[in-house]
Amino acid sequence: MEAAPLSSLQEEGEPDESSSSSAFSAAAVPPRPATHHSLHKYAPTDWSAYFDEERPVAIPDTEDVFNVYMAGSEGPVVFCLHGGGYSGLSFALAANQIKGKARVVAMDLRGHGKSSTSDDLDLSIESLTNDVIAVIRTLYGDPPPAIILVGHSMGGSVAVHVAARRAIRNLHGLVVVDVVEGTAMASLIHMQKILLNRAQHFPSIEKAIEWSVKGGPLRNIDSARISIPSTLKYDESKECYTYRTPLEKTEKYWKGWYEGLSDKFLSCPVQKILLLAGTDRLDRALTIGQMQGKFQMIVVRHTGHAIQEDVPEEFASHILNFISRNKIGPNGVEIPGLIKKWQH
Amino acid sequence: MSSPHGGLDDQIERLMQCKPLPEAEVRALCEKAKEILMEESNVQPVRSPVTICGDIHGQFHDLAELFRIGGKCPDTNYLFMGDYVDRGYYSVETVTLLVSLKVRYPQRITILRGNHESRQITQVYGFYDECLRKYGNATVWKTFTDLFDYFPLTALVESEIFCLHGGLSPSIETLDNIRNFDRTQEVPHEGPMCDLLWSDPDDRCGWGISPRGAGYTFGQDISEQFNHTNNLRLIARAHQLVMEGFNWAHEQKVVTIFSAPNYCYRCGNMASILEVDDCREHTFIQFEPAPRRGEPDVTRRTPDYFL
Repeated sequence: MEAAPLSSLQEEGEPDESSSSSAFSAAAVPPRPATHHSLHKYAPTDWSAYFDEERPVAIPDTEDVFNVYMAGSEGPVVFCLHGGGYSGLSFALAANQIKGKARVVAMDLRGHGKSSTSDDLDLSIESLTNDVIAVIRTLYGDPPPAIILVGHSMGGSVAVHVAARRAIRNLHGLVVVDVVEGTAMASLIHMQKILLNRAQHFPSIEKAIEWSVKGGPLRNIDSARISIPSTLKYDESKECYTYRTPLEKTEKYWKGWYEGLSDKFLSCPVQKILLLAGTDRLDRALTIGQMQGKFQMIVVRHTGHAIQEDVPEEFASHILNFISRNKIGPNGVEIPGLIKKWQH
Repeated sequence: MSSPHGGLDDQIERLMQCKPLPEAEVRALCEKAKEILMEESNVQPVRSPVTICGDIHGQFHDLAELFRIGGKCPDTNYLFMGDYVDRGYYSVETVTLLVSLKVRYPQRITILRGNHESRQITQVYGFYDECLRKYGNATVWKTFTDLFDYFPLTALVESEIFCLHGGLSPSIETLDNIRNFDRTQEVPHEGPMCDLLWSDPDDRCGWGISPRGAGYTFGQDISEQFNHTNNLRLIARAHQLVMEGFNWAHEQKVVTIFSAPNYCYRCGNMASILEVDDCREHTFIQFEPAPRRGEPDVTRRTPDYFL
C-alpha cells in the first residue's frame, strides 16, 4: 500500500535509508518508521511561530474566502504574493525578520493554501489580480495604509498586474522575485514535464518536507517545515499526500501570467526592485530598462528560485532597505522632496 | 633594435588581437598603472582635442571598432568615462588594453572609474567569473579591482566640460569638494563618491531617490546651478543606455554618451563617441556593432522553474 508513494518518491529524490528496503520486497516490507532524528528534522511547524494572526477574508457578494497571515503592528504593509503551487507561508521566515519594522501580510492565492473560491481552477491573471485588489480593499478599505507589493514567480506577475492596474491607492513599492518574461515564456514548453517530474505522492508530510529540500524546489529546511504542509492535501483514495493545487490543469492560463510582463513592470509608476537568483535572466526590455536606471536589480547568490524561503534574512534585509531608502512610512512616503540640498 | 616601450608595444599589439596577457604581465602592468593613476586628480584636467567615450562593458570588438572610427591611440586623445568590464564576453581583454594604453601613453588617454569598476559589482555581473575562466584563479580579478581604486572619478576638459560616469551629488557643490576627498577605496554604497558613479539626470526638478537603489536623480535646476557655480559649459556622462548612442538633457547642460552598441548583445542600440576639437567644437560620431567573428552565441539557460 505504501509502495507506490515510496517508489515515486525514490525516483525523484536521492536514495534514502528508510525506503531502501522496498527495492527488495516493496509490497511485503512496510517502510521503516522514520528515525526519531529525521522525524524531528523534517517535522512540520505551525504558522503561529512566525505570524501573529491568521485571518479569513470573505470578499463581499462572492463565495470567495481568502486566507491571510499577518505579522507586525507598525510601519507600511508588505503584501506578499506567493508563486504557483506555494502558499502564503512561503514568506513565513521572511515575515519573522520584517515584522519588527513593517507589517507583513501574506495571502493564500486562489486555489492555494487555505483559501476557497467558487472556482479554484481559475488561475487566470485577471482573476488573480482581481482577488488581490479585493482582499486589500476588504482588509483596509480605501485608502489603505502604504503598501509594498511583493510577488514571487507567478505571484510576481500578479503583483505587477495589480500595480499596473493602478487600482491600489497608496501603493509605494513593487518587489518582483525571480521572474522575467523572456525566460519564463521560453521555459513554458518544459513546464508540464517539470511538473510531472516532481515527486507526486508522499506517505507523510515529513517525507514531503524531506523531498522538497533533497530533490525538490527548496534549500532551507526550516522554511520547508512551515511552507510545504500548506501546499499538500491528503488524498483519501490513495491514502497519501499530494499537491493541493493541480497546476497541470491550469496550463491555459500560464501564458497570460507572463506575456507583456516586462513592459508592464517598467510602466508601473512606483519604485521597483527585481530580485533574481541568477545573473543573466534579463530579457531585452528589462536589460534596456535596467541600463537606463528604471529599477533596481539585485542578484542573490547561493539560493534557489524561492529566494524568500532559501535566504530569508537576506531577502528581508533587501525589503527593509528598500522601505527605508524610499522613506516609506505607515501612511506613505514621508517628508517627500526633503532630500538634503546644497547649503547656501 | 630594442625600444624602451618594446615590451609594452608588443603587449598592446597582442591585446589588439583580443589575446589576454599572462597573469605575471597583468600584475606588472597594473603596478605601473597604479604609479601613474595615483598621481592623477579626482578631477583630472584634460586638454582638447579629445574624444569622450561612454560604457564599453567588455564588448572588445566594439572597442576595436571605436578605435577604427575615432582613430588609434595616441593619434587621437581619449577620455573614457568608466564601465569597461562586466556583461560582455571580453572584459579582461578590454580593461587590459585600456590600462596598457594608459601606461604607454599616460598623457593621451584618461580612464575614469565607473560603477562597475568595483569588487562587489564585478562579482555579480561577469568580470570575476571571466577572470576565473580565463586564468583559473582570481588573482587577475583582484589585481584589477585593486587598481580600480586608483582610477580618477571625474575629468575636466579645458575647464568647461565636466566628465564623469554617473552624475551629481547633493553633497557636492563645487569641483573643489570632489578634489578634497580620498578616492582610493571600494565604491561605497552611499555618499558623494557613490553618487558621482551612480546618479542620473531626470526630467523632474530637484533631487530624487534613484530607482537604481544607489545615487540620486537630479533635475535641470540642479545641473544649471552646478554648471553656473563651477563655470562649466557641459556635463558629459555615461551610465545610461541611450538608443541613439548619445542623448542631450537639461537643455544641453548635460549629455549622456554610451559606447557599447547593441548592449549585452541584445538591446539593438547605437553607440557613440563625442569628439571635442581644438576649437572646443563638439561632434558626435555614432557607430553600430562591429561584425562578429566567432563570438559566442547569446544562448541563455532556460531556468528549471516558472511557477
